[in-house]
Amino acid sequence: MARYGLIVDLNVCTGCMTCVLACKQENLTKPGIQWNKVLELESPTLDQITYVRQACMHCDHPPCVEACPSKAISKRADGIVLIDQKKCTGSKTCIDACPYGVPRLNPKEDYFPGNAIPYEQNAAPYRIQLAGKASKCTLCAHRVDKGKEPACVEGCPSKALIFGDLDDPKSPIRQRLWQSKQLLAEQGTHPKVSYIAPKNAFRGSEQKILENR
Amino acid sequence: MPKVTRRAFMKVAGVGAAALALSDRLLVSRAGAQAGAQDKEEAGYTICDGCNGVPFCGIKFYRRGDIVTRIEPWPGFPTATLCSKAYGTLQRIYHPQRIKYPMKRTKPKGSPDPGYVRISWDEAYDMIVGHLMRIREKYGPHTVFFYVGDPKEPRTAVQRLAATFGSVNYGDESSTACRKGANTAEVLTYGYGTTGSPPGKDTRSMLIWGTNPPYSGPANDWQELLKAKERGVKFVVVDPRNTPTATILADIHLQPRLNTTAALAAGVMHVIFKEGLYDEAFCAKWIHGIDELKEYVKAFTPEKTEEITWVPAKKIVDAARLYAGNGPGGMKTSPQGTTHDLNAGNNHRAILMIPAICGYIDVAGGVEDPTNPLEGLGGNWSNGPPVFCMRKKMNDMREHRVDNKDFPAFAELNFDVQTNRMVEYIKEGRVKAFLAWGLNMMIWPQTQEYQKAFESLEFSMAVDFFYRPWTHNYVDMVLPGAVNYERLAPFAVHGRKLFGRMPVKPVGECKEDWQIALEIGVRLGHPEIFFNGNVEAACDDILKMWGVNYAALRKDIEKGVVIPPKKPNTYRKYEVGMMRQDGKPGFPTPSGKVEAVSLILKKHGLTALPEYKEGLKTSQEYPLILLSGGRVPYITHSKWRDDAPWLLELQPQPLLDIHPDDAAKRGIKKGDEVVLKSQWGEIRVKAKPTILVRHGIVGIMHGWSKANVNQLVPRQFDPITGYPPFKEVPVQVIKA
Repeated sequence: MARYGLIVDLNVCTGCMTCVLACKQENLTKPGIQWNKVLELESPTLDQITYVRQACMHCDHPPCVEACPSKAISKRADGIVLIDQKKCTGSKTCIDACPYGVPRLNPKEDYFPGNAIPYEQNAAPYRIQLAGKASKCTLCAHRVDKGKEPACVEGCPSKALIFGDLDDPKSPIRQRLWQSKQLLAEQGTHPKVSYIAPKNAFRGSEQKILENR
Repeated sequence: MPKVTRRAFMKVAGVGAAALALSDRLLVSRAGAQAGAQDKEEAGYTICDGCNGVPFCGIKFYRRGDIVTRIEPWPGFPTATLCSKAYGTLQRIYHPQRIKYPMKRTKPKGSPDPGYVRISWDEAYDMIVGHLMRIREKYGPHTVFFYVGDPKEPRTAVQRLAATFGSVNYGDESSTACRKGANTAEVLTYGYGTTGSPPGKDTRSMLIWGTNPPYSGPANDWQELLKAKERGVKFVVVDPRNTPTATILADIHLQPRLNTTAALAAGVMHVIFKEGLYDEAFCAKWIHGIDELKEYVKAFTPEKTEEITWVPAKKIVDAARLYAGNGPGGMKTSPQGTTHDLNAGNNHRAILMIPAICGYIDVAGGVEDPTNPLEGLGGNWSNGPPVFCMRKKMNDMREHRVDNKDFPAFAELNFDVQTNRMVEYIKEGRVKAFLAWGLNMMIWPQTQEYQKAFESLEFSMAVDFFYRPWTHNYVDMVLPGAVNYERLAPFAVHGRKLFGRMPVKPVGECKEDWQIALEIGVRLGHPEIFFNGNVEAACDDILKMWGVNYAALRKDIEKGVVIPPKKPNTYRKYEVGMMRQDGKPGFPTPSGKVEAVSLILKKHGLTALPEYKEGLKTSQEYPLILLSGGRVPYITHSKWRDDAPWLLELQPQPLLDIHPDDAAKRGIKKGDEVVLKSQWGEIRVKAKPTILVRHGIVGIMHGWSKANVNQLVPRQFDPITGYPPFKEVPVQVIKA
C-alpha cells in the first residue's frame, strides 16, 4: 500500500496563488475557505520574501482523528486524512486538536447567494461542501484514486509541490525527502507534508559579503 | 421559467445596473436546469483570456451539455500549466451579474443613472449602423474611432471592420499604455519588436529588466528561466521591486529609482566600454551612432550613476562584468513596465543597447530572433494578420490618423493609434463616435477627463462581460460579450503550432466579439467581406494562408496542427540578408544597423540618443515615488475583482505596498487606512508595509474603481511613445 505525501520546495515557490485557485476550482470550497494557503514571510535583514504554502499535513498520527467525538475523521490505508462532512457535527474539536490550525468550519454563505450555479448542480460528491461542517484539504483523494496528482500539484507553474508515495524508494518525493523538514515535528504528529528550506539565507549572506568586501 | 413582464422589467431597469442582476438570475437558473445528470461529461477546449497576454494558455474543460463543470491545463499545449486567473475564469461564466442582452441608455449623458434598458440585437445593430452611416456622411469616416481593450481577442475582426468602414483610427490598450511603447523603442533601435528570448542551451548570462515572469508568464517564460538557473546561467535582475524573480534567479539584483532606466543603462555601458568588455567588431560594423553613444555614457561613472539611480556603484560594476563577461548573454525585458514614465521611449532604448554593444544580438544563446516566424502574421498573433486586417488600406489612409501631430514617431511605426490624447481629439471634434470592445476608462490618467469627453460624443458603444459603471455610465450602449468558453475565435497560434477551440453555447443572448464585429460589417452592407456573419468562415479565411481550416484544427484538437518551418534555423541573420524586406544584409532600420542614434527620432526632432532625462521631481511635500501597476499575480487591470470572487477573496481591497521603514516613519501599521496623494489627486487605501518595495517607493495596483490610482497620474506624455508616467509620480502617504 502506498503512503502519500507532499514536499513543498520553498526555493521555487513564488507566491503566485495558482495552488489556492486550482484547489478552489477543483473542490468548490466555500467563501473564505482556502484548503491551500500561502503565507508571506518577510526577512528585512536578508531583504527577501519567502512564500510558504500551507495546508493539511496528512499526519501519520493525526490528533484530529482521535479528537473528533463523532468519528467523522479517518485516515485511509494510503495515509490520506479525510473528514466525512455528513458525519461531522460541527463541534470544532478537530480545530482545537490540530497543531497546524488546519480544519475550518464551512460558512453558511455562498459566493452568489440565492443563485443556482450550474456547475454546483449535480456536482460530484467531493465538490459538495456542507455549511457548518469542518472541512480541509483531502489531498484530492478523488484524483489520487484515479492515478492523478492533487489539483494544486498539477497546477503549480514552478513545480514547487512534489507529490508521491513516501514508501516507494524510487519515487521523486523519496529522492528529495532527505532535504526536507517536517514542521512542528516535536508534536509527534508525523506529518506527511514536509518543506525544503530556501537557500535564500545563503544567497543573502553571499550578497552581504560581496557588498561589504 | 417564470416570466418577466415588460413592465416589471422596465421598473427594475429604471434603477440602473444593479437591478439587472434580478433578471439575470433567471437566465442562469435556466442554464442550470440544463446541467442535468443525464448529460454525459465531455471534454472541451479553449484559450484563457485571464491576463490579456499572448500567446494564451490552453484550458481543457469538462461540460455537461452546454454547462462547463470544471477545468484543467490542456495537456500537450505549449503552455504547461495555468495560473490563478485561469482557474478564476470558471467562476466568471455563470456569475449572476454578467450582462446577457444588449442594453441602451434612456437618460441623457450626465444623468446620475443612465437608465439602461434591454433591447434586441436587431435594435442595437440598427442603432449602431444608423449612427455610423450618419456620422460618416456628416463628418467623414475617420471621426469614428474603433477600439479594442481587454481581452485582445477581437482585434483582428475589429481592424477589418474599421478598414472596411473607412476609418484609419483604430487603437487598442497596447497602443495606449501596454505593449506598443516598448515595441516602438525596439523597432526604433533594432528594426523589429522583441522582448528578448528565453535562455537557450548556449546562454551563459541573462539580463532581466523590469519584468517578473512567475506572475506575468508563469506557464511559459518562467519555466525556461527556472531551467536556465539549474544549468548555472548567471542572472542580472533589474527591478525596483523585490520580486520572486529577483529572489529566485538573481546573482545581482539592481533596484533603481523609477524613471532612471537610461542612466542605469548608461552606467552599465560605461563600465562595459571602459573595461573593454564590448564586442568591438560588432559595434564598429553594426551600430549606428556608436561613437556618440560611447561619448554620452562617459559621464555616467558608477558613482554618478549611483547618485541618480540609487543603485550602489559597486553593484553596477559587478552587474556589467557579470553580464558582459559571461557571453553570450540573453535578455528578457518587460513588454511595458519600463515605458511608464516621461522618458519611456529612450529609457527602453537604453536597455536594448546593452546586449547590442556586447554583440549578443541574434547569436546562439543571445537575444535570438526566430528564423521561422509563422508566415503571414507580420509579428505577434494578437495584432492580427495584416492581410485579413486590411493593413494596406489602413496604411494608405495614414494621413488621417488623429495622433500624427502629437506623437509622430509612434504614429509612423504603429498601425494602432495612440489614444492618450482622446480628450483633445473629442473636444476638437476629430472623434465623434467610439466603438469599443473591452473598454476601461481607468486605463487613462485623470480618468474623469476622458469620462467627461465621452459624454460629448455623438455615439459610443462598448462590448463587455459585466456592467462596469466607471466606463459604461458614459457610453450609449452596452453589448453582452461571450466569455472565453463561449468563443470560437480567435484560434490560438504558438510559434508554428495552431490550436482550435470547442466552445459551449453562450449564456443568455451573449455573442462572441468577432461575431458582433462581423455582423456590424454585414449590416453596413458588406456581407461578403464579413462572411455573412459566420465566425468560422472568417477564421478559415485566415487559416487558408497555411493550407488548413478550422475543421482541420478540430480533427485532433488536443494536439493541434504544426505548420512545418521552411528554413533551417540561422543566427546573425543580419549578415546574410534575412532580416530586411529588401533582402540586403543589415537590420530593418533606416541605417541598416542597430541604431544608438535613431534616424526616425532625428527626423521628427526628438532626442535621437537614448539619453537620461530627469522627470517628475520629488519634494518635501511629495517625497515618495509611486509605482502603479506592479504585477499582482491574481489581478489583471480592473478584471478579477468582482468578476471572480474566488480571486477577489485573495485581496478584497486595494493595498498600498510601502517599505516598513517608510511606514514606521509615518506611524503607519499594517491595515491602517492611509491617504495616498500627489499634486494631481488622492485616494484612500489600506497600507501593507512590505519589503516587496524598496525605500522611497510605494506600490499599488491600478484598476480599483473605488481607489483609481490613475487619478494621481498627470496627463503628461513621453514624446516618443505618448505614454503617461504611471511609474514615477511623486506622492505622499499620510495616516488617515
